[in-house]
Amino acid sequence: MSYTDRFLRYIQTVLLIALMTLTFQSQVSAEPPSSKYGGQLVFAIVSDPKSFNQIMAKEASTTAVTGFLFEGLTTTNAHTTQVEPHLAESWEVSEDGLQWTFHLRRDVRWNDGQPFTADDVVFTFNDLIFNENIPSSARDIYTIDGQQFLVEKVDKFTVRFTLPIRFAPFLRGMGQAIFPRHKLKQLVDDGKFNFSWGIDADPREIVGTGPFKLVRYDPGQRLLYEKNEHYWKVSDDGERLPYIDKIVYLIVGNEDVQLLKFMEGSTDSYSVRGLDYPLLKPLEKERNFTVYDLGPDTGSQFLFFNQNTGTNPETGQSYVPAHKLRWFTDLSFRRAVAHSIDKQRIIEIVKNRLGYPQWSPIGPASAFFHKPDVTKYEYNLETARRILAEAGYTDRNGDGYLEDSQGQKIEFNLATNAGNIQRTDIASIIRHDLEKLGMKVNFQTLEFNTLVTNINSTFQWDAIILGLTGGIEPHFGKNVWNSAGQLHMWYPRQEQPATEWEARIDELFNMGVQELNEEQRKVYYDEFQQIVSDQLPLIYTVLGANVSAVRNKFGNLDPTNYGGVFHNIEELYILEEYR
Amino acid sequence: MTNKPYESMSEFQMALRTFSRNRVALFCVLVLFLLYMGAIFADFLSPYRYDNEDRRYSYCPPTQIHFFDDGAPSWPFVYGIDLEYNEYHKRIYTEDRSKKYPVKLLMKGDEYRLLGFIPIKTHLWGVEAPGRVYLIGADSRGRDLWSRILYGSRVSLSIGLIGVFISFTIGLLVGGISGYYGGRVDNILMRIAEMVMMVPGFYLLLALRAAVPPDFNSVQVYFAIIIILSFIGWAGLARIIRGMCLSLREREFVMAAKSIGLSDFKIIVRHILPHTLSYSIFAVMLSIPGYILGESALSLIGLGIQDPFASWGNMLSDAMSIVKIKFYPWILVPGFFIFITVISFNVVGDALRDALDPMLKSEGQG
Repeated sequence: MSYTDRFLRYIQTVLLIALMTLTFQSQVSAEPPSSKYGGQLVFAIVSDPKSFNQIMAKEASTTAVTGFLFEGLTTTNAHTTQVEPHLAESWEVSEDGLQWTFHLRRDVRWNDGQPFTADDVVFTFNDLIFNENIPSSARDIYTIDGQQFLVEKVDKFTVRFTLPIRFAPFLRGMGQAIFPRHKLKQLVDDGKFNFSWGIDADPREIVGTGPFKLVRYDPGQRLLYEKNEHYWKVSDDGERLPYIDKIVYLIVGNEDVQLLKFMEGSTDSYSVRGLDYPLLKPLEKERNFTVYDLGPDTGSQFLFFNQNTGTNPETGQSYVPAHKLRWFTDLSFRRAVAHSIDKQRIIEIVKNRLGYPQWSPIGPASAFFHKPDVTKYEYNLETARRILAEAGYTDRNGDGYLEDSQGQKIEFNLATNAGNIQRTDIASIIRHDLEKLGMKVNFQTLEFNTLVTNINSTFQWDAIILGLTGGIEPHFGKNVWNSAGQLHMWYPRQEQPATEWEARIDELFNMGVQELNEEQRKVYYDEFQQIVSDQLPLIYTVLGANVSAVRNKFGNLDPTNYGGVFHNIEELYILEEYR
Repeated sequence: MTNKPYESMSEFQMALRTFSRNRVALFCVLVLFLLYMGAIFADFLSPYRYDNEDRRYSYCPPTQIHFFDDGAPSWPFVYGIDLEYNEYHKRIYTEDRSKKYPVKLLMKGDEYRLLGFIPIKTHLWGVEAPGRVYLIGADSRGRDLWSRILYGSRVSLSIGLIGVFISFTIGLLVGGISGYYGGRVDNILMRIAEMVMMVPGFYLLLALRAAVPPDFNSVQVYFAIIIILSFIGWAGLARIIRGMCLSLREREFVMAAKSIGLSDFKIIVRHILPHTLSYSIFAVMLSIPGYILGESALSLIGLGIQDPFASWGNMLSDAMSIVKIKFYPWILVPGFFIFITVISFNVVGDALRDALDPMLKSEGQG
């Protein structure tokens, strides 16, 4: 989750909804009950939150610091990644799969002591998410075919959702954080919601059902949370959770400071980058922490070519020069490029061997939908050269560069965003190999916003290396894969699918979202992954590993790849000697 | 003002004599000379081209060059490189004693164009492939840091000279015109200069860099950076030159030139500006480091010279992580070169001021 690119935050926010909520999963402990309460947990983050308003928040800095404050009706189990009850204790679905009735827990209280009821759920959806005056990225997810859910209160603790069509990821989507009606209703009615819960807000006004509440925010220094005395969850031994008294987020300038703070012992957890591993791992015993390697992360980094066949309506010129478009839409060309990506060395150099090659749009982190046996392109410049030669790309005039069958020299620009050193390194390695093939590749790093403008509105670019954060629900990637999608980066917002395989992907997504049988859904998404690996609209590179270093001061610690280290924060307790 | 013993010497000879007495300055001139020769002959002096990489040897430490083989003196040679990872994913490089690669002089290697036009393959020194020699270590992709420093010096050292040339041309002309004409012209030009000086330099640099079209290739970016840096640099000089011109234009030789009907432009260029030269020369020297640092700063944050091309600044950007510095301290070496260059220019500039400014000198002598 280290990407902070605004472009991706949309997706990120969507996926974080599931992460926000904490799992209901306890472990039996043999220790006497009285010994678990107290102590504090210290994190370091690199930047101040921009807001505490999670409905409007689009940046990771906000979602990171509001994670312990709010909860949803359902949650995703950090081990099995299955959807589980949370604020709703049970639900029923009608025969046709369109009507969902949720029965809420009756013992939930907001952290100011007010009871949590069906009114809050209805308010969250009808007055916040579906409110046209509030820019909310969540609205897109709960809008299907242009229609919104119908959300009604049945009684004080029962809510009914009516869907326009069947929507397979509905339950997972119900991880959406619920907000307090009694605090926000007046603000919404006065039209002030968009300006409330900003970073200047009184922390006591920010009310959630989560295990912790915000008590203090010193800009540029720290955020302080205390435990929610009204939290509803109890341990298997009948103890009221959470155990931990306080959580502190120190705001430090950058990742290096985070590392130093962790090494000197003033923070309790650090997200380990590949290059830090040789530094931290040997110190485990001496400095009393543990490094957990939790497996592949959910991000992805890929190279893609501009396949936009459109023309600029103002100038009448095509967005991509005809000869370049000819190469970029040529599958042989893209296959040759796929063969020249040295994934193994990229993992060694950029990720310090803590990485995985990626071949499929749904990464291995989403275990169920991931298809491991898609078409793979092993690194071999000879194969790449052969494919190019067969497709008519050869050095026709002896200048050391390839020309296509019409004598055009293969030359294009490759861009990535400045400031992401890992990505720049990946781009440089790929560029070097493409040059070896005889392509003239002009590499440039651009300001992130410039890059996004190029992709989204001016369409004047050749090749770009970028990343996206992913999740376990394939449908939430629809805006990338649907041919009319905003994030269909190689040719966005098509009126008609430009190719047969893009039309087929559209079809598969439409079938996938309406199919409630998980096995059948997997068949659809498998075919989708196969098509992408064959057609290579995005040429994948490598995945990082999800590695965390945690001080040995916690009981009940249970890190998982999906949930991370602190997914069960309410159950964690601090060992006696560290309180 | 006039000193008897120097009567028979020209002003230039006097300056030279003062300057040559300053040993530190002479040493710095030598250092700069070597650096510039290194830049000109970078491709000949370096064993590899700037983009010659071997990805196996990421951050390979400096290769030891052996002068003794089993205790007996021998022609210098290097051993092969063995790489393994320990359990902490740390790269452990060892010498593979079974493979020996003698250091070769005038060796055939990557092709390049000497002085920009003679295509040859001969490098001053190197080792035969598959042997690999890293004089001061390798970067992340196994490129020779020493070769890249030599190549990078072309950018870092030339940017100062070209930049200074441009900004001083502008500065002298604007200052000269402003001071000579005075009045409204002076007012307008000086307000413009103040506007340029008013904006904090680095932010102006960033703003101007953002205006450079994104599809520029590396050479164009290089020139764009020079022009940007020059744009920031001219204003200060123009202000001072203008002050000097204000007094110079009242002098008799200017009156004389006017009275014989020389054009204003000729008067400024031929008669007024030469009198500001003694100031300009050391001002030039003292401002070159600013350009070198400016380029480094831009490249350091990824907006200057782009990989694979080398500049000292973009090489240093790799060192912006304490973990890397701890494990691979040699990536800081480009910073050392920047330091040496900047110090040298400053010392030489100071010495030139002492030598060229008779006022200062006489004050200094008491």
